[in-house]
Amino acid sequence: MVDIDYNNNPILKMNEIKKEFSGVYALSGITFDLYRGEIHCLVGENGAGKSTLMKVLSGAYRPTSGSIEVEGKSYETLTPNLSKELGINIVYQENDLVASMNVVENIYVGNEKANRFGFVKFKEMLEETKRQIEELGIQMNSLTKIENLSVSDQQFVKILKALSVEPKVLIMDEPTSMFNVEDAAKVLKLTKTISEKGISIIYISHFLNEIQQIADRVTVIRDGAVVNTYQNKTRDIPIATITTDMVGRPVDTFYQKEKQTIGEVLLEVKDLQLKKDSPKISFQVREGEIVGFAGMVGAGRTEIVRALTGADSKYGGEIRIHGRKVEIRNPRDGIREGFAHITEDRQQLGLMLHNSVLENVTIIGLRDKIKGFFIQIKKFPPYVEKLINDLRVKTPSLWTEAVYLSGGNQQKVVLAKWLFIEQEIYIFDEPTRGIDINAKAEFYKQMSRLTKQGKCIIIVSSDMPELISMSDRVLVIRDGGIDGELAGEDITEQNIIKQALGVKKYEK
Amino acid sequence: MKNRVTILKDQRILLSLVIVAIVAIVAMINPRFIAVKNLITIFQQISVIGILTMAMSMLLISGGIDLSIGNIMVLSGVVMAQIISTNGNVALAVMAGMITAALCGVLNGVVIAKSKCIPLIITLGTSQMFYGLALTISGGRIMSFGGAFNTIGKTKLFNVFPVMLFVLMAMVLVSYVIMNRTKFGRRIVALGGNEKNAFLSGIHVVKYKVIIYGIAGFFCSVAAIIFSARIDSITANAGTGYETNALTAAIIGGVTFDGGKGTISGAFLGCILMGVISNAMNILQVETYIQTIITGAIIVCAVVLSNLNNIKKNK
Repeated sequence: MVDIDYNNNPILKMNEIKKEFSGVYALSGITFDLYRGEIHCLVGENGAGKSTLMKVLSGAYRPTSGSIEVEGKSYETLTPNLSKELGINIVYQENDLVASMNVVENIYVGNEKANRFGFVKFKEMLEETKRQIEELGIQMNSLTKIENLSVSDQQFVKILKALSVEPKVLIMDEPTSMFNVEDAAKVLKLTKTISEKGISIIYISHFLNEIQQIADRVTVIRDGAVVNTYQNKTRDIPIATITTDMVGRPVDTFYQKEKQTIGEVLLEVKDLQLKKDSPKISFQVREGEIVGFAGMVGAGRTEIVRALTGADSKYGGEIRIHGRKVEIRNPRDGIREGFAHITEDRQQLGLMLHNSVLENVTIIGLRDKIKGFFIQIKKFPPYVEKLINDLRVKTPSLWTEAVYLSGGNQQKVVLAKWLFIEQEIYIFDEPTRGIDINAKAEFYKQMSRLTKQGKCIIIVSSDMPELISMSDRVLVIRDGGIDGELAGEDITEQNIIKQALGVKKYEK
Repeated sequence: MKNRVTILKDQRILLSLVIVAIVAIVAMINPRFIAVKNLITIFQQISVIGILTMAMSMLLISGGIDLSIGNIMVLSGVVMAQIISTNGNVALAVMAGMITAALCGVLNGVVIAKSKCIPLIITLGTSQMFYGLALTISGGRIMSFGGAFNTIGKTKLFNVFPVMLFVLMAMVLVSYVIMNRTKFGRRIVALGGNEKNAFLSGIHVVKYKVIIYGIAGFFCSVAAIIFSARIDSITANAGTGYETNALTAAIIGGVTFDGGKGTISGAFLGCILMGVISNAMNILQVETYIQTIITGAIIVCAVVLSNLNNIKKNK
């Protein structure tokens, strides 16, 4: 651990940055500094202003007022080029890699080393990449195509790409949001290694546990202003206080898990096989029960629930609902038999982004909830207004296109369309990924409400605290099969990870 | 936020304004332009393309496209003409023409839905097939309808409005009702908006695709009838260019390639705009070759203009 010299001048200082968008202040005077080799974490809810602040730094936005000091030199505004010249670089949240190109090509895309005739000097780039990879202690073949890399390795490539221009300041925007614990740990380790090389890092994340592990300082912003900055020398920042800072109120009732009476077996799965050679899966879920599916990314959790609801085909096995055998060949059958499938990846699978909230919420209910052959969409709002209010979906109107809502509100719309048709078995696949704390709380509240009504829930989640607090039982999935079951006191992060990795058989 | 919601409406308002402006300017130069008779002529001129635009718009909104609609229309027309000339039974001819066209559409739909290939390429291929079929049946000759549909072209209600105008209006209305007032239509929109989401929402993707292509095919047969009502004859290569014109009208009207977006009324306005422009140039005695250049330029301008919103939005 290198000690940060806070007596020196900061490498970067943002003074009283304000940014106004048509009368609304997205940033209302933020002061933020960063020292050499420091990891300064930035936390805040979605919409708090983190992204706007980073866009000011990357030169995408011109601040309304304030100044940016880089290595003692003051600027009123940065441009994307100037920002790069000054050594500021960003690892974006979205994947901006070219899938069909290999690691080296991706790292140097747009920044190729070439001789004076414009021919690319591939060998030199390869050597440089290999050196980087070794230096950072990563295991990776530089010639593998991106599409053949795991999610975490892809993230490493993004980081390598950002490092290839030798930045002084590296901004990492939720680098682990798509990861499981194992992979996240790798990214965290890498982040530390980079900072030890003297590069300063602004690290944005929703995961406070992560932040506690790596931050030198933590700054919380809310509504475009800094709430507090904490020192984290002893790795003991008060997570509860930070959460309160972020939300603006104590989140005492965050995971709203109430004990429900567990009733009869509602869903029974027997010897379900996805493919001919895949393991047989059997489990039951009872009325009022929440069963968690834990496991690494790629362990096959999503595949299992997709086969259950009819989204994917299956090879064999039996599904019983209330003891009655059901045939499910496609999502239509699944819906008819009472499944609700809140899919992962709301933008790709869950929403019609360019259609209105109203159309999105009513698309499934169109079949049974709305009567008649001829319909008038103008007359739909009364059907869903209560639902939208109950879920506290923040939208300018029911006619707003889903694409303009924040992640949390989009996710609520996905939930709303399944609540609208009142199903019996709710399957949540990564329900709270990338959404803000308030929206998360709303999801937990709704889960409790559903179980109270005697419905049952399956949650697939990589968010450990969520899985642990919400589940009555946790099934650990590994290599496409159920590897173990944890209940009650045994549901701990350690047990889950051990089981999921198959490190050691869990013993009672 | 509010103007984002009304972008689509804006497009229609914009189009209406452009149409009114052109009409006003041309009328000032040559008042004959706004004579009732000429206005009716404009609608007569766009009746065939109007019906095809409706077919194209429904497909675009569903996330598909059909470049064979011109040739489906021709094939359907050739089938009708053939039956009329050999058998003389007009009702039978119409039935056969409609079934042929609908089947062509269904064929497109089945191949596209089952193979999951790009509809653009598939329909380019089937278009050739339909064209070849029309050539084979007609033997490359000009096929006469023996005046069977002349009544549609000549009969005028109140001595002013030709019947074909009402056919056009009826088809526009039918498409509007299908897309906006039926569950089927809402699901088609959903399909175009996000096919994966539609599937997961329990929508039978293959079935709906086949049906919408079939409906589009049926529209082509109606277009064929109107076509023959005006000219009383058809040749196998009469359909050339109709599919691109229909596509252009739909795009100008705010329907997009992405699917899920766009309105029937907008597409119809796009059609009217194109009709007005071409009629105006005739009235102003613009040379035919020059007309083509101007039409092309106007299309580019219209599409760029209608996309300005998107460009701004992404900044």
